[in-house]
Amino acid sequence: MAMADEPIVSIRDLYKLYRQGEIDVTALDNVSIDITRGEFVVLMGPSGSGKSTLLHIIAGVDRATRGKVLVQGINVANLTESELADWRNQNVGFVFQSFNLIPVLSAFENVELPLLLTQLNRRQRRQQAQAALELVGLSDRAHHRPDQLSGGQQQRVAIARALVTDPVLIVADEPTGNLDAKSAADVLSLLKGLTEQADKTVLMVTHDPKAASFGTRSLHLEKGEIVAG
Amino acid sequence: MTRLTFIAKNSLRNGRRALLTVSSVAVSCALLVTLLTLQRELTVPPESEAASLRIIARNKVSLAQPLPAKQLATIEKIPGVVAVTPFTFFGGNFRDETVTSFPQFAVDPARFRELLVEGKIIDGDYVEWVKDRTGCLVGADTVKRYGLKIGDRMRFTGTLYPCDLDLRISAVFQGTVDDRGLFFHHKLLDEATGDLGTVGTWYLRVASAEAANDVISRVNAAFANSSAEVRAETERAFQMGFVSMWGNVKILITSISSVVVFTLILVTVSTMSMAIRERFRELAILKALGFQRREIFSFILAESFGLACLGAGIGIGGAWSFWTFIDLQSLTRGFLPYFEVTPRIMATGATIAALLGIIASIAPSIAVGRMSVVDGLKTLD
Repeated sequence: MAMADEPIVSIRDLYKLYRQGEIDVTALDNVSIDITRGEFVVLMGPSGSGKSTLLHIIAGVDRATRGKVLVQGINVANLTESELADWRNQNVGFVFQSFNLIPVLSAFENVELPLLLTQLNRRQRRQQAQAALELVGLSDRAHHRPDQLSGGQQQRVAIARALVTDPVLIVADEPTGNLDAKSAADVLSLLKGLTEQADKTVLMVTHDPKAASFGTRSLHLEKGEIVAG
Repeated sequence: MTRLTFIAKNSLRNGRRALLTVSSVAVSCALLVTLLTLQRELTVPPESEAASLRIIARNKVSLAQPLPAKQLATIEKIPGVVAVTPFTFFGGNFRDETVTSFPQFAVDPARFRELLVEGKIIDGDYVEWVKDRTGCLVGADTVKRYGLKIGDRMRFTGTLYPCDLDLRISAVFQGTVDDRGLFFHHKLLDEATGDLGTVGTWYLRVASAEAANDVISRVNAAFANSSAEVRAETERAFQMGFVSMWGNVKILITSISSVVVFTLILVTVSTMSMAIRERFRELAILKALGFQRREIFSFILAESFGLACLGAGIGIGGAWSFWTFIDLQSLTRGFLPYFEVTPRIMATGATIAALLGIIASIAPSIAVGRMSVVDGLKTLD
């Protein structure tokens, strides 16, 4: 069993090169970081600094050109596409700027969606989805479709969907970018609460210093390198 | 929620598009089934067991050329011939009709019963017909179509012969593969035309199907090198000869059917591609959540297959209901006695629709399969 202060995410010498036409663009340049369980790590930096790329590689939706990405001791870079998909379902929860709920499904069904990939039976899926919605305070909106919810409520549904499989890591890419100040504060409080009460590890990309203040640690990236944090 | 409800909700997310897609598949399937049925009706004449025992002998030059009535004595003596009757197509227009909506034949009633073995006729009525020179034997479909009954008179205007006929219904037959025909005394036609001493064709019955080829050879040989050589053939071969007079109906209908299917594929593939392209963002999210490529492919396939099958069910079911319950005789003015949408044709339509559903899902599935999660996510924010 992992010790509490052992890093849940450990990155060493990470490089990511993109090819744009005939030019190689360095998105990440020799990045090494450790993130421990229960941390709320904020990635900041100007556009094109590589923060979203780093988030995607840690979350297993993109692959590094070189370097090691260990999440709970598993080298994500060594997993096949199929293994990576399973791994994401079990270990990572996603929260996006545009909420990205499925419009034809109710809030409850959106939360239940990742559980279709698990071995849980229908009753167990319903119980877990209900519990996740209660955690974000939206059990009374369970049967509303996304277009019947406010932006803040949609983002809370997205957080419930990210939580429902009980992942160790929640990655959030500009989760407050489309929200008003109050809704943003609610969402950030919710994410912070997850690290403090549920021992989840949150990795969030943001441009907003106010949002960053909710984190326990901030990492600043510029031109693919970590310059502070 | 189950995967099935997820697929169903996705399929019906754009109600108008789903309705139009299902409708286009339904209309195309109904058209396809109708064309295949028409092809079958025109190229595969109905067959009965008794037909294999019947032979038609016509003038070798052409069906339109008559044969001498005196040939009867020769044909009767040919071994294997059980019965023979003159069989002359009259081709008259009933009442005020401008087309020949059902066939009329002049026969010898005394001999004809032996040929129409599968026909169910009340014996007493048949005897009445034999006795009554102006009487006729009418098929039950025609009786029903015109609301006729025994004793009614039927007037025909001749189109091939320069005479009209005024007949009285003596008997009704049913139970044959085509219960539309009308038969009357050849003697009446002879009288009306001034006794030309000719018949249109000879209609023979042989003792067994095995004897048919032998009888055909003997009949042909009997009149070889005469002034009226005959060409004898089985009833089925004779009917197929009629079909060939339509030209190559099979190729024509197959061509139209192919165009229908091809158009259907284009419409459905285009619709499915559009539906999936609009959902690239969501499909990227599904991938991020852990759905595998094969699972997303199965969603797209199920959606496409489901819409195609729903359309096929409506189209094929609709075509079957329409052609089963409609008054076909009135609709086609007697041109088509039957229009049976067979299980085989329905299965063909359903199979094509199912394949269509699969084909339509291939291109969108490949596109989604190639899309990386990051590329999909880039379209999000």
